[in-house]
Amino acid sequence: MNNKMMSILFASGNEAKLNELTIHRTTASLPFGGRYRLIDFTLSNLVNSGVTRIGIITLSNYSSLMDHIRMGRDWDLNRKNSGIAVFPPFVLNTARDVYKGKIEAIYTITEFINRSPEDYVIIANCNIAANIDFTDVLEKHIASGAEITMLCHDGMLTSSRRVVIAKDASNRVSDVFFVESPSQNERLLSLNTYVMKKDKLVTYVENAYARGHIDFEKDVLFAEATRGVVYAYEVPGYASIIDDVKMYYNESMKLLDYDIREQLFGEENKIYTKVKDSIPTMYGEKSKVKNSLIADGCTINGTVENSILFRNVRIKEDAVVKDSIIMEDGEIMEGSTLAYAITDKSVTIKENRQISGFSTYPIVIVKNKVV
Amino acid sequence: MLAKKECVAMLLAGGQGTRLGALTQHVAKPAVPFGGKYRIIDFTLSNTINSGIDTIGVLTQYQPFELNQYIGNGQPWDLDRLNGGAFVLPPYQKAKSGEWYKGTANAIFQNIDFVDRYNAEYVLILSGDHIYTMDYSKMLSAHKARGADCTIAVLTVSLEEASRFGIMNTDKDSRIYEFEEKPKIPKSTKASMGIYIFTWDKLRKYLILDESDKTSHNDFGKNIIPSMLKAGEKMYAYDFDGYWKDVGTISSLWQANMDMIYTKSGLNMDDKDWKIYARNTAEPPHFIGKEAEVTNSIITEGCNINGTVKNSVIFTGVSVEPGAVISDSIIMPNSKVLANAVISHAIVGWGATIGSSSHIGEHQNAPQHGEWNIAVVGPDEIVKEKTIVKAGEMLGGGEKA
Repeated sequence: MNNKMMSILFASGNEAKLNELTIHRTTASLPFGGRYRLIDFTLSNLVNSGVTRIGIITLSNYSSLMDHIRMGRDWDLNRKNSGIAVFPPFVLNTARDVYKGKIEAIYTITEFINRSPEDYVIIANCNIAANIDFTDVLEKHIASGAEITMLCHDGMLTSSRRVVIAKDASNRVSDVFFVESPSQNERLLSLNTYVMKKDKLVTYVENAYARGHIDFEKDVLFAEATRGVVYAYEVPGYASIIDDVKMYYNESMKLLDYDIREQLFGEENKIYTKVKDSIPTMYGEKSKVKNSLIADGCTINGTVENSILFRNVRIKEDAVVKDSIIMEDGEIMEGSTLAYAITDKSVTIKENRQISGFSTYPIVIVKNKVV
Repeated sequence: MLAKKECVAMLLAGGQGTRLGALTQHVAKPAVPFGGKYRIIDFTLSNTINSGIDTIGVLTQYQPFELNQYIGNGQPWDLDRLNGGAFVLPPYQKAKSGEWYKGTANAIFQNIDFVDRYNAEYVLILSGDHIYTMDYSKMLSAHKARGADCTIAVLTVSLEEASRFGIMNTDKDSRIYEFEEKPKIPKSTKASMGIYIFTWDKLRKYLILDESDKTSHNDFGKNIIPSMLKAGEKMYAYDFDGYWKDVGTISSLWQANMDMIYTKSGLNMDDKDWKIYARNTAEPPHFIGKEAEVTNSIITEGCNINGTVKNSVIFTGVSVEPGAVISDSIIMPNSKVLANAVISHAIVGWGATIGSSSHIGEHQNAPQHGEWNIAVVGPDEIVKEKTIVKAGEMLGGGEKA
């Protein structure tokens, strides 16, 4: 038995609820955690688990993703055998349209899946921030005798469509259903990540496609769960799905907690990203920085509190940034004040501007804007 | 025959760097960490690729493993090439002989075949222990325009400093008529930077000649340059007016790191068109805690800062506990500074632990006789709590068990 895994990733998903943050990019290439893109977590988890054959299915807006991944070298995925394969929409001549759901998308790359020598496949979305050991997932999958093992975590419901799971003591999934309304109670939520036999996946997809089904969760997962062959794998430590602006802000701010950073960035299972060769960050004579996560290449001469600065951000004298996220190449000029703001890449806030959102409604300033 | 390369670079990285003591006990000087996320050798490697030279031989001898592993296939510097790239060249056994590199010239002599393989017209000789950014392609253009046999990069130093350097005495066309090693009474202030471009045919001839001279030190400065001058070869000085520092001593290594903070020093690495590349360590962004105070300092990825840091360079993955105060110091990768430790005018080697309430180094206002009295804690040293390490003291450096 070949206990090796390959993976199929979906680069897009739920872009609508991320609003301005995904105008120019896929969810997969959404900047997160000071120097990463969301896909870095999934790619690094796969590589750290020995998975080196990765197909990435894209839908739209994928040039930012291609630019980020290049040949996969930064994840050690520039291999002669295996490595990264990016599938743009319309892979097949016979494709009737841009794919509508996971079933159609996977159907178009059946040949890629069949030709791969691995026995198992991991299906995942690229909007997850977590540090996951897939070798452990596979061990549990095999031990349980499950047809499908689905990854899950304890999390809060948002306005996005979430799959809620009920399971028994043996981790067998007893019920799965969609919920699409926010709630403050923690529930066991699906991370939309599945491990199964590769052949099984092909059978599922071919059967569903023949019947005109498009939705993997509704048309395959729910049916299999009813048969009692789906098992849940609870990801230990921090895990979350980033799929709306509020979620993005809240999960980002959680990274200011030491324990969460330790869980997410790991000692041994590191998170890799595109190397940009920025110089280290320079703190000036007048810098006042507290409780903040700061990437390389920044120059700080102002005040920064409870914030996240991405690479090459400039904070000028007497500028004050609080409870905010400043993405790459941002510049906050003299005397300006920012609170509860998310500024996208290359945003400039000119002198003496006052910008503030609210903790439950952070204001987003779109890419390349000058305020 | 491989595709022709106009210019091949040969980087001398074999030096032990004894004056760096504990820091070079187990690694060669070019592999010593610098400036937060770099190694000293990153500057010459990056200068080379940024100058459009894509074939570089790195001559190693002393403690080569760390350096070999660091350079690897040359990818971080974009030197993983189908034709050319970075090559680590240790001494090797040949049909008739096999020996250690006896001197800088002998190291190149032993690798004549390497340069010949690329059919190079010119050879650029570099040292792996200098901090500077320089466009070698301009120097090569000057070399070609003058039809020179040898071009030596020179830096104008003060008259007092001149007696510590190799000094080039030139005529008004920059042609060198005399070379003096550390002259007591300097006639000029043009100091050799240890960067040479030779027309390969000429150098090849002089290397073979030099090797047959049993009394020779097989050294560029002591032997090759003087004998070429004596023979009347066309040798020119090439003026360089940027930042350049030999980091061969604890004091100069400390100063060069500080020069990164003080932009007036002229050491500017924040140039998008002239990046200094380094092997990446995949650390998350650094974190500045609620009780931390950081001013006038450089902090690198992977750090967790909860104490006070001023006028200091903190390298990758360092943790500083609450109450610790670090000033005018450099803390190398993955070191731990425990609660209430006080560090001033010191270098802490990589992987070291500074016990709580320890005192490392003493504050100084100015260098004494041109040298700072820097305290050093060697790599991987564990300093027990409440230990005092005086200014100028060096902890560690003994053989490892």
